[in-house]
Amino acid sequence: MHDFVALEGRGVIATFLASTEFVEAADAQARALGYRAVPSVFVPHPIQDRTDAEVRALADAALEEVLARVVDVDQARGVD
Amino acid sequence: MDLREDGLVAVVKRDCPTCRLVEPVLAGLSRTGELTVFTQDDPAFPDGVADLRDDTELSASLALDIETVPTLVRFAGGVEAGRVVGWSRAQWTELTGVADLGEGLPEHRPGCGSRTLDPDVAEQLLVRTRGGALRSRRLEISALEDEAEALFDRGFTDGLPVVAPTPARVLRMLEGTSHAPDEVVAVVPPNLAEATVEKVAVNAVLAGCRPEYLPVVLAAVEAACTDEFNAHGLLATTWGAGPAIVVNGPVRAEIGMNWAGNALGQGNRANSTIGRALQLVIRNVGGGRPREVDRAALGHPGKVGFCFAEDEEGSPFEPLAQSRGVPAGRSAVTVFAAEGPRGVADQISRRPESLARSLALGLRGVVHPKLVRGFDATLVVCPEHARVFAEAGWDRARLQAALDEYLLLDRAEITRGAGGVDEGVPAGDSDRPLAKFRPGGLLIVHAGGGAGMFSAVIGGWAGGPGGSAPVTREVDPWR
Repeated sequence: MHDFVALEGRGVIATFLASTEFVEAADAQARALGYRAVPSVFVPHPIQDRTDAEVRALADAALEEVLARVVDVDQARGVD
Repeated sequence: MDLREDGLVAVVKRDCPTCRLVEPVLAGLSRTGELTVFTQDDPAFPDGVADLRDDTELSASLALDIETVPTLVRFAGGVEAGRVVGWSRAQWTELTGVADLGEGLPEHRPGCGSRTLDPDVAEQLLVRTRGGALRSRRLEISALEDEAEALFDRGFTDGLPVVAPTPARVLRMLEGTSHAPDEVVAVVPPNLAEATVEKVAVNAVLAGCRPEYLPVVLAAVEAACTDEFNAHGLLATTWGAGPAIVVNGPVRAEIGMNWAGNALGQGNRANSTIGRALQLVIRNVGGGRPREVDRAALGHPGKVGFCFAEDEEGSPFEPLAQSRGVPAGRSAVTVFAAEGPRGVADQISRRPESLARSLALGLRGVVHPKLVRGFDATLVVCPEHARVFAEAGWDRARLQAALDEYLLLDRAEITRGAGGVDEGVPAGDSDRPLAKFRPGGLLIVHAGGGAGMFSAVIGGWAGGPGGSAPVTREVDPWR
């Protein structure tokens, strides 16, 4: 989340990407850094024990949503 | 305070028998026209003094730094020229220049404690005189609220009760350091919030520290909030380790730390509260809370706080801090990533090689018996094991070298699938053995009770860049 903030601060459009287990962590850190909402994509947990093929499949499935978050700059980027 | 440039000032209280004893003396001196009397409790006492001032607020007593009543002070040209504490005919005569004072009185009589030193008053005065230096937000707790419950409700605790950080307690805590309350100690992850000396003191109060522990806490916060230690990563990882602190040097004894029996356990205030204070700083200043940014799947009980001292005096090894560059005789903290400790028994080995092999077997289980080089660890060598090394002339480097040798693991045993376990290191081209730990990834500390051939392995977390490396900082600069 700090990386997201650093990139946005440099004018680079970014999206937060993690697995579903990290929804509340992302929310806590985003709020602590002054964001009401951060464009985020959460892929299904788990990650660590996936085979390479499974991880690629997860990435392929998430790609469209990631691109949408990056391209659609009107998507919530609320800053408190 | 409006004081005469030249003349005498006395500070008294009716509650003091010696002050009552000298009441006629003060009345006599008052007739010379050069005496002002400040009274701490009864504005009408003593009788017969023309220039009698009410000091029940104790402002004059504080300004004059009065510790005992009666105190008689002479001013000359606006500067204190002398003072007498208690009653002494000879000293009062010399200071006042008036002969034959106190006819019928004894020659000497000690005074009583100034009201400024009464425990209840001293606390109020501390806040009144120095409370303005505090910048922390003040929370009002209503009379109907239970103090401990209110602090739970506001999220300031680790799940155990905390000591309410009243302004007086925080000010007393700050007496443990010469550093200004507004000095920034570190930037604390995960929220990258600045921790001032005052904020650290507030959390040290919450944790139950005494003021003399504060320099150790400050050094620990400084050490934990470095890029090398990477407290952010350690907090956010799903692995269960947290920060632990080992203390070296004279401060261990000065603040009564435990490095002997049950050194890693409960029961010693300094050990228990210093580690807790660091964790409360990370929670309350840095915003690192479990199940928010702290993503530990399990965690461990030592995440409430994990701090102990090294037994230097009984050790065959040079102190850990010295091995990490701190000059001998100086106090220091070393912070390292730590799981809970796990015992390693060996009640047979009397040869250092055999014992080192035993300890290596215990260390092999860190993170997973089939994984290497990823995670650091700390080995706490107990005195009865240390004796074996001492008798063989093994120092820290010799033991370290032996452990390195015995922790070269046969690749065939730890490859994925070996032993029917899919976890393990990937198959490689080489048959070369693999080192369990990265260089510098194993700390050795000496602590524990004199009986019991039981050392302990404390697993760490991912070591080195991207993970966490142990960090040592001196305590004395924070005194």
